[in-house]
Amino acid sequence: MLSDFFTLALETIVRRGLRSWLTMLGIFIGIASVVALISIGQGLQESIASQFESLGTDLIMIMPGGGGALSISSVGIGSSYLTNHDLDLTKRASGVDIAGGMVYKMAKFEYGNEVKYFFVIGFPTDESKEIISNAQSFKLAEGRDLKEGDRYVITIGYLIAHGKAFKENVKIGDKLKVDGEEFRVIGSHEQIGNPEDDKQTYVTLDMARRIFNEPEKLNTILAKPKAGQDPAVVAENIKKELRRDRGLSKGEEDFSVQTMQQLLESVNVILGVVQIVVLGIAAISLLVGGIGIMNTMYTSVLEQTKNIGIMKAVGAQEHDIMMIFLFEAGILGLVGGVIGVLFGIGIGSLVEAISAAAGMSVLKTYMSWELVVGSLLFSFIVGCASGLAPARDAARLNPVDALRA
Amino acid sequence: MILDFFSLAFTNLKRSRKRSWLTMLGIVIGIASVVALISLSAGMQNVINDQLSKIGSDRISITSGAGSYSSPVTGEMFSAKLYQHDVDIVKQVRGVEYAIGVTIKTSTVKYRDETKAMMVFGLPFDAKTVENLKTISFFEILKGNYPSASDKYSIMAGYQLSQDLFDKPIAVGSKMEISGVEFSTVGINKKVGNPIYDRKIVIPLDAAKELFGVGDERSSIFAKTRSGFNTTEVAEDISDRLRRDRGLKKGEEDFTVQTAQNMIRSFTAILGVVQVFLIGIAAISLLVGGIGIMNTMYTSVLEQTKNIGIMKAVGARDADIMMIFLFEAGMLGIAGGAIGTAIGLIIGLMVQYAAANAGFEVLKASMTPDLILGAILFSFIVGAVSGMMPAIRAAKMSPVKALRYE
Repeated sequence: MLSDFFTLALETIVRRGLRSWLTMLGIFIGIASVVALISIGQGLQESIASQFESLGTDLIMIMPGGGGALSISSVGIGSSYLTNHDLDLTKRASGVDIAGGMVYKMAKFEYGNEVKYFFVIGFPTDESKEIISNAQSFKLAEGRDLKEGDRYVITIGYLIAHGKAFKENVKIGDKLKVDGEEFRVIGSHEQIGNPEDDKQTYVTLDMARRIFNEPEKLNTILAKPKAGQDPAVVAENIKKELRRDRGLSKGEEDFSVQTMQQLLESVNVILGVVQIVVLGIAAISLLVGGIGIMNTMYTSVLEQTKNIGIMKAVGAQEHDIMMIFLFEAGILGLVGGVIGVLFGIGIGSLVEAISAAAGMSVLKTYMSWELVVGSLLFSFIVGCASGLAPARDAARLNPVDALRA
Repeated sequence: MILDFFSLAFTNLKRSRKRSWLTMLGIVIGIASVVALISLSAGMQNVINDQLSKIGSDRISITSGAGSYSSPVTGEMFSAKLYQHDVDIVKQVRGVEYAIGVTIKTSTVKYRDETKAMMVFGLPFDAKTVENLKTISFFEILKGNYPSASDKYSIMAGYQLSQDLFDKPIAVGSKMEISGVEFSTVGINKKVGNPIYDRKIVIPLDAAKELFGVGDERSSIFAKTRSGFNTTEVAEDISDRLRRDRGLKKGEEDFTVQTAQNMIRSFTAILGVVQVFLIGIAAISLLVGGIGIMNTMYTSVLEQTKNIGIMKAVGARDADIMMIFLFEAGMLGIAGGAIGTAIGLIIGLMVQYAAANAGFEVLKASMTPDLILGAILFSFIVGAVSGMMPAIRAAKMSPVKALRYE
């Protein structure tokens, strides 16, 4: 019985040829855009999450400014800042294994006769080096890394070494002037995928302090909790220590202590909101596609009035008639959805390829099978829902009148 | 003749009422979303342009750091700085009426028992500067007065800061603690509509020096061009002077001189990209709506096959048949477009209202006759283009075969 419904519906669709295609085109465009956008959005979330993973989600980040690492008011400004003293307090806080601090500023770089501005990051060379280098997705490609006691040497990011920053490639052994002081390049890094990160340079913490003339300040402190400790609890301990030292009560902090987990969550919240807005707009086209199916179904019912009369006359139930038309609508939705999913995946891959070529390999697309199955199911449901009203009309036709059409 | 086409098309549409409405619905939804988005983004651009020009096309701002992204906020990220010395240089440039050096630092501000971290502006408040401040919109006084040269520990608060940033509103005379030092509020600024300026807290430069230890450092310099001078030229002169003073070549600056013009330009560029993206996505629904029209027209042509045959038999030319169906499609487009535009504008107004309630006065809906006419014209074109292929098929029908159609 069910297969009969299916066959009848399919016949109608095939018979109407071009119009069926046009109807499915509506659904296909809607599904394709939704699928493409979702896969890009999920891909972005995945790659950001994996970048955080490589940092070690148990890492705790302490920054000056009360709004947390993501609030505008805390980026780089402050009468509040972190110092060596804060680093000591952090190391002593209960549950902390290793802690280290970084200094970073933008400085003037001179190479040959070109002048450009890049970030210089001052790196500790003691035991905390490892957690900080993980945090910077630090992988040396050529040359050697910074060592304790290094002076006036610098390692450079991928884009600087590969001619995308200065006109020429900057090679190992070349001399760069940083804020007027001469440094020798001893190493270069692998590509991180983010153009901003790939233009950074690294010196030892002591050197950074010397050239910027800031012997005490730190821009960021990273702390690693002891194995088995809950990062959130350790973060609270650090907060308490710093608060007590600065004489502040809870809620008055002019610094922020966040675990990587918390950071990741706030990033995801923002991404989530953007995604929903964009998806919402794309979903409008799906709505219009559904209306197209409804329209086509009404026409289909109209054209088959006589057939419906005959079917009822030879004993078909109202229920049967409705099933036939629901199937017709559902198939239209489903086929449109299949093509749409394929196309959407294609667009997603295209976007990924284009952005990788442009240097932003952070933009990946993610195709979960849940997305595929979900979209197919959704397009089928859209089809059926759109076809409900027309199908009901068909089912309620009076056989006598229908035969006379 | 044209009138006949019209009435024939109209009759056709009326005949299959439900179908016509459903088809139009597709266009209505598509146009409504596009119109709403265009209206809101154009409105937002207008508001921002307005505010930036309130700053005055004669305003120049100088910040430390190179590159177009430097702003008073990111100045600290650069190792190069501006100093009072630079303010003096700028004052001497020909065509500069005045120059004010400002320090901006983040600090904790405590009011009653609430503490927040925010940007604190340090401004000089000598008599001459106060005269100049009165001409800058976001420094105009609503209540109270400017801090005078004698009260070091006084505050001038932005409008929103005084009203709803803290739990209790702040009035003239309210005491607040900045970085642990007690200050008294002496003035409240007029509302500007931009949260950054409405939430600012300003203290005298001397107090800032004392609190934050900034000495001669300045975060930015605000300058005004004398009337009769071209702002862009004056900005160039300022650049030259500062460069010469620092011994830098052109292109090597570690500071940025910006006029309201280039701020508007860069903002417009960014907004433009976002606009195109969002509207592009909304336009997809319009595409689907157009496909709906095409589909409906094919059906309409099919249903009227016999009629087409009769018309051709009594002398209608191919072109006439095509016109009838093009009109039918076009009318679907225009009707859908008119309704869609109206709905789109209403949605825009609703969003504007909701956003204003949430404090985002930046989001306004703009309703220009350009937008309305453009949308309606566009929907007519969408309709006509969608109906083209079915209309051509109708026009090419062989009258004999058409008459035989059952």
